[in-house]
Amino acid sequence: MNKRGVGRKFAAVVVVAIICFSLSVTSVRAQDVATGTATATVLAALSVIAAQNLIFGNIYQGVAATVANNIDASSGIFNILGQGSAGISISIVLPQFIALANGSDRMTIGFSSTDATVDSNNTTPATVVAGDGWINTNPNNLPAGTVIGAAGQTNIYLGGRVYPSVDQTAGAYSGDIILTVAYNGT
Amino acid sequence: MKYLVVISAFLLLAASCPAQTITLNNDLIFGNVFPGIPMTITKYSVGSAAEFHVAGTSGAEISIQFALPTYMHGSGFNIEMIFFETDCSIDTLASPSQTSPLFDNLNPWTTLVYRLGSAGLTLWLGGTAIPKVVQPPGSYTATIVLTVAYTGA
Repeated sequence: MNKRGVGRKFAAVVVVAIICFSLSVTSVRAQDVATGTATATVLAALSVIAAQNLIFGNIYQGVAATVANNIDASSGIFNILGQGSAGISISIVLPQFIALANGSDRMTIGFSSTDATVDSNNTTPATVVAGDGWINTNPNNLPAGTVIGAAGQTNIYLGGRVYPSVDQTAGAYSGDIILTVAYNGT
Repeated sequence: MKYLVVISAFLLLAASCPAQTITLNNDLIFGNVFPGIPMTITKYSVGSAAEFHVAGTSGAEISIQFALPTYMHGSGFNIEMIFFETDCSIDTLASPSQTSPLFDNLNPWTTLVYRLGSAGLTLWLGGTAIPKVVQPPGSYTATIVLTVAYTGA
């Protein structure tokens, strides 16, 4: 083989080698990138509705009046709405007195350790039963295991007692009952 | 014949440098989150922590860099996310352990440099979601980007 033939063959081999190398090298990436995803599902927000006030109605001076927690028309009723079966923490701030709108007179109000009922089955104060939650429980220390009912609602029924004095000023008395609810993460 | 040896050497050289590849084994899954209650997924949480696997040349050094989100998005609303300086872990052993990784409490906000083990490298990422008390219900997502590259060392 003459010199020209050798040179052509060498050139051809070099070209093939470069092509092969290029093909191989292109399959080697300098870096790789992957994308993952963070996901979360936010559950229903909590809301509380004061569905019915605790209503004592007309009372007489010097005569204490009681409203039980199982009276559809007058027990205090709170509706708690949220994620079904989720655990919640509940606290109630109860007033020590109710007062005239102008503040000129006050009337003592009291709550016993059995004045609250927790109903996770969305019945009514008069029809709730033990299997629906907790009957006649302490409003100042509601059960730790309280959950939103499976249908997304739990009700709190509240009774109480007022003690008008013999010289209680006539008029309409009122006081705030504050219910606070939060998810406890269970 | 001499030239064929040259070609073979080229091919061998190229074949001895396999690309590194990342496989996403698991997303970072917070699951159901209550409004107002922060949710943390630890890097040890099997099936919930993000898990990536990097394959490549055994013994080669690679740099690892996350692009981490600060929020998850859904239906026009955001949930704040937090990644702490210890939320990442790596294991280069042939049988990596998520619950007891070889390299633990790593900072995902910095570039990490490790050598690939015989079976590559597995890394995990935890995180925290901070939903607001009034967070609208629904699904929220965010993108986590992982980039790896050989350092040449």
